[in-house]
Amino acid sequence: MEEKKDKTGLLREVLDGAAGLAGSYAATLTHLFRRPVTEQYPEYKRPMPARTRGRIILTRSPDGKERCVACYLCSGACPVNCISMQSEEGPDGRRRAAWFRINFARCIYCGLCEEACPTLALQLTPEFAFCKDAIEDFVYEKEDLLVDHGGKDPDYDFYAHAGVAAGRPKGEHIGEDEPVDVKSILP
Amino acid sequence: MPDLIIDGRPVRVPKGTPVIAAAESLGIVIPRFCWHPALGAAGACRMCAVMFLDGPVKGLEMSCMVPAADGMVVETFHPEAVTFRRRVVELLMANHPHDCPVCDEGGHCLLQDETISGGHALRRFPGRKRTYLDQDLGPFIQHEMNRCIHCYRCARFYQEYCGYLDFGPMQNANRVYFGRFASGPLESPFSGNLADICPTGTLTDKPGRYKSRRWDCQRAPSVCPHCSLGCATVALSRYREVVRVEARENPAVNGHFICDRGRYSFGYAASAERPRQARADGVPTSMSTALALAGTRLGGVVEAFGPEAVAVVGSARSSLETQTALTALARAGGWRGPAFFADRTEQQAVAAALAALAGGRARSLAEIGQADAVLCLGVSPLHDAPMLALSLRQAARAGAVVAVADPRPATLPLPFTHLPLAPDKLPGAAALLTGAEAADAAAIQRALPLSPELWPALERLAPAFAAAGNPVLVFAPALAAQAPADARFGLFPVLCGPNAAGAALVADADAPACDDLARAIEAGEVKGLVLAEADAAALSPRLAAALPGLETLVVLDHLPTPSFAAAKVFLPTQTLFESGGTLCNNEARLQYAAPVAPPGEPVSRDGRGGHPPRDYARKLPGTDPLPAAALCAVLALEMGLDMPALSFAAFTGVGPEDVAPEGTRATRLPAAPTAPAPPSAPPGQGLVVVRDDALFATDAYGRYAPLARAQAPAASVVRLHPDDAAGLGLADGEALTVTVGDRRIEATLAVSAAVARGAAVVPRLPGWAGLPAAIGPETLRRRQP
Amino acid sequence: MTDILCGILVMLARMAVVLAVVFGLAAYMILVERKLLGRFQVRYGPNRVGLFGLLQPIADGLKMLLKEDIVADGVDRRIFLIAPAIVAGAALFSFAVVPFGPTFAVFDRPIAQVIADTDVGLLVIFGLSSLAVYGVALGGWTSDNKYSLLGGIRGAAQMISYELALGLSLVPVAMMARSLNLTDIVSAQATLPFALSQPVAFAIFVVSALAETNRIPFDLPEAENELQAGFHTEYSGMRFALFFVGEYVNMILLGSVTAIFFLGGWNGPLLPPIVWFGLKVLAVPVFLIWTRASLPRLRYDQLMALGWKCLVPLGLANILVTGALLAAGR
Ligand code: SF4
Ligand code: SF4
Ligand code: SF4
Ligand code: SF4
Ligand code: FES
Repeated sequence: MEEKKDKTGLLREVLDGAAGLAGSYAATLTHLFRRPVTEQYPEYKRPMPARTRGRIILTRSPDGKERCVACYLCSGACPVNCISMQSEEGPDGRRRAAWFRINFARCIYCGLCEEACPTLALQLTPEFAFCKDAIEDFVYEKEDLLVDHGGKDPDYDFYAHAGVAAGRPKGEHIGEDEPVDVKSILP
Repeated sequence: MPDLIIDGRPVRVPKGTPVIAAAESLGIVIPRFCWHPALGAAGACRMCAVMFLDGPVKGLEMSCMVPAADGMVVETFHPEAVTFRRRVVELLMANHPHDCPVCDEGGHCLLQDETISGGHALRRFPGRKRTYLDQDLGPFIQHEMNRCIHCYRCARFYQEYCGYLDFGPMQNANRVYFGRFASGPLESPFSGNLADICPTGTLTDKPGRYKSRRWDCQRAPSVCPHCSLGCATVALSRYREVVRVEARENPAVNGHFICDRGRYSFGYAASAERPRQARADGVPTSMSTALALAGTRLGGVVEAFGPEAVAVVGSARSSLETQTALTALARAGGWRGPAFFADRTEQQAVAAALAALAGGRARSLAEIGQADAVLCLGVSPLHDAPMLALSLRQAARAGAVVAVADPRPATLPLPFTHLPLAPDKLPGAAALLTGAEAADAAAIQRALPLSPELWPALERLAPAFAAAGNPVLVFAPALAAQAPADARFGLFPVLCGPNAAGAALVADADAPACDDLARAIEAGEVKGLVLAEADAAALSPRLAAALPGLETLVVLDHLPTPSFAAAKVFLPTQTLFESGGTLCNNEARLQYAAPVAPPGEPVSRDGRGGHPPRDYARKLPGTDPLPAAALCAVLALEMGLDMPALSFAAFTGVGPEDVAPEGTRATRLPAAPTAPAPPSAPPGQGLVVVRDDALFATDAYGRYAPLARAQAPAASVVRLHPDDAAGLGLADGEALTVTVGDRRIEATLAVSAAVARGAAVVPRLPGWAGLPAAIGPETLRRRQP
Repeated sequence: MTDILCGILVMLARMAVVLAVVFGLAAYMILVERKLLGRFQVRYGPNRVGLFGLLQPIADGLKMLLKEDIVADGVDRRIFLIAPAIVAGAALFSFAVVPFGPTFAVFDRPIAQVIADTDVGLLVIFGLSSLAVYGVALGGWTSDNKYSLLGGIRGAAQMISYELALGLSLVPVAMMARSLNLTDIVSAQATLPFALSQPVAFAIFVVSALAETNRIPFDLPEAENELQAGFHTEYSGMRFALFFVGEYVNMILLGSVTAIFFLGGWNGPLLPPIVWFGLKVLAVPVFLIWTRASLPRLRYDQLMALGWKCLVPLGLANILVTGALLAAGR
């Protein structure tokens, strides 16, 4: 403190300050002559990485059936509560969504639903530009969300792993033993 | 009273308490799968391992198997114990299917919770998973045996606690299977509890299958309105629809469980037939129009014939709030009523039954489980009050003598003595067993000269009851006079509706009963009637028959009863799930049921199975109904009446703010009225009509719950004693035509020695309400092909 | 008679020209600022409306005109409505005394390139610029919003403080020109602009002028990360635009004033005087924009310390030295 008040200290401070000012003016000046880095969006569309978080789809398993089992995990994970659905038992005995609705006007594209989805049904796609004139049009129903492919993970089939006998009998899922014979008297 | 230290905190618990329960009293929840407070320990799952550092037991032990003892020092988070528990979960998961997303337990699954909280995420075990074939266990329980972790809770509950044997463990070693010998509906009327106690998704609730996750449901404590016991329940509602009812722990009433009637009869609230719109002369209209019309019509009657020409009828199924509001409305208008009971005798009987409870003689359901002798007088436990059967079983397991003196055939999952006696014989039988001295053989023969087959049983019972230190008399209100003066005997009346006690407390002693009102209508004295949550046909056939003589009939209800169809003005009310309300159970205990479902047409129906309409401006459909008490107030306003602000505290001595979570006993009981005359033998030769409840669909609400109705027997059954059947020339299994008034009902005949001589047991259904007190061959006839 | 009519006509013409030029300049100054800032930050700035975004100011103006004029509840309506006009008005009035070039003749009539050639031009400008503080302070105070109030108070304190330094920096100018008439001051710099002969005064002037126009690094009255938008938080639509345009008119005014006081006005070799003047006027806003891109905002105490502890003493000392030198020179 004491030194700062003496003459050389003050002078140095002034010079330092002036140099600082000059430095920042110089820095901005050099920027003035650089090429802007902005991408001109509608003319140039940057290819998005596959895992970009944009519009959500419901994919299908390799056998072409709906993957979503209406487990409510995505709607439970969604921080803005924009997914709603009703589960039911389908004709093939599989659990599925009677209806499934995402309100994209509310979605913040955080991807938590995708992380929560245990069947890899729900996936975010790189599509981010889908404007509408009316806010109601952002409410997508199951038929709008459902696609006919497996998205990023085309090979996974939840029902091949699960133990329930929906489509596949007991004991025929991956990594399962024959069903126990309850009436056997063998040791 | 052992003193011990758990996780550094001292605690003193009653002798015999397992360490896991002692920890719970400190708020420390030790992981467990097989231990259950009601079922005790099995030591099957090894999940509750904790470290005993000091005291009589040392080392890693199962906290559910070790009773608390002096000087114990227990650490629940000891690294060794934590590792042990983590390994247990990993072992359990070795065979557990990859099912959580499609499993209905997910979200409230104990196994899921422990697996996730223990951090088990990666499968290290390379072997294959064990699988089982599932069974169809009937309409209530879904079986998915792969998920079982062999905790034996289901078997212990089903076989030991409830006493039914058709479901249980089979096989040995790695093949243990929990199921029935063959697919088929579970026989126990308490089977729904399996879904609650199974800690995994092996046994789940079938009616609620694939409907919702627990976290999406609104949940609120409720009270079961399907019999007079008032078991504590939790109602779960989602998308404006009650989707499940579960047992709630109320140590004073139902303990941890409820019966299947209480669990599966909730469908009336969301049923498609439920009237949700006001009607004027049968034409749907708006609430305000209907209310105005009700006001004008009733006002017209008052103007033309005076206030005495309007009467109010309530029922034993309304909440205390509604019953109080009806009373206030009637008082404000100077109208007659409200009448809550079919006739004066019934009202007096219920009042007498409650009066008898004064002086600390009331027993709760839990206390019946601790009694050493129980006599059920005119009560068929499994049908009149199903959870009573479970309490009786607990008493019997502890060695109590149980006798059921009732004209109807009785089945109970416990050793008991059935005394099938016609109603007029019941007082005599009661006197034999409730005296201070054991009745001797001579007295027994004198009292029941015509039933020699019962003498030996009574001779066995009499000394047991005389010697009992803590006997309980369970009785129907008609037999209130038989409540013994002997103070040893605890008393437990079983009443005719969820809030029958409330009705008896609220009703004036000299209030007219339905039959009186019917007489007044016939005489042209009453011209306008307000029927609030009451079905005239079920309550009093005479009143139902008199309804056409009215000038105006205003019905407030949420059930599509015949009275709803007859209404001139109909005003829809909310159910207990929607408005909430206080019910007073058979032991005069007031309990509050909180509102849980928002009123309105369920989303499922609104969307016709698909997604609900995407219309933000629309009024939600079906939201017209109001609480009946509020409708009374609006009606009073409409008619310019000054309705007094009345709280049910005025009738029960307990205000709404004093109702404790486990219920609070009414402090104002009726002053001992003249006890009703005991049932007398019918004049002439007829058979006394005795009405019997079924487990499902005979209670006021269950009749309108689709799921409960689906469980009701397809054909009505009339039961007779073999002698009486022979006297009528009828044989077992014969098709009958029963004449009720001018209608004929088809039924089948069941003949059994378990029916009292001289009694005809018929179902308690509104259609049968018109039968006279005694019937003969002209009523019961073989059906002509 | 014709004399008077011609005089009025010429006067009106001059006013129209000045207003049009000033407003046009202000509007495009906004575009220039956004473009320049963009380039300073390695991006493009507005380039969508018209060629190179040239129609952007028009689009913005239209947008502002069409926006709802929201007057918040609880404000003093009259003052609220007048405040922006004070800011813009004060700046515009100042142009009445600003000379743009030497007097020239049309049909033998001398036409001064100034609306009102008064002998106290310096004082008029000074006085008018002090008025602007009312706009800021009143706008902030009447908005009934704590952020606006803080912004208004900051604005008032800052502008009053720096007015002093500003005044002190101009005293040597008047001393050297021996006149308060702006045309005379310009003439006094025919050989050497005061920026070179009075570097200290010039430096003080530039810093104080920055502070007077509320621009970065002295934009504390509207410091958006502390006060939302400071004194004009509650303003919207055309009224906000008035504040906004006022700021840019002020920048141009500052450019003119700097050119006149320190950069030698329209004096310069080769090019016609008006071009020289224009170039000098524009150089100042460009410098301000460059400053905005380069410097961070001062803290409030730093701002006050700079004004009172540094600029004012320096200005006084400068006057003394100038006076001494002038006395010695005589
Ligand atoms: S991305 Fe995030 S906000 Fe959008 S639906 Fe999924 S969880 Fe909800
Ligand atoms: S988490 Fe996946 S499977 Fe579950 S409901 Fe959502 S989309 Fe369907
Ligand atoms: S029982 Fe529990 S852990 Fe097993 S599948 Fe169901 S939710 Fe998952
Ligand atoms: S079925 Fe459920 S309750 Fe029964 S043993 Fe298996 S996990 Fe336990
Ligand atoms: S809870 Fe103790 S062993 Fe299962």
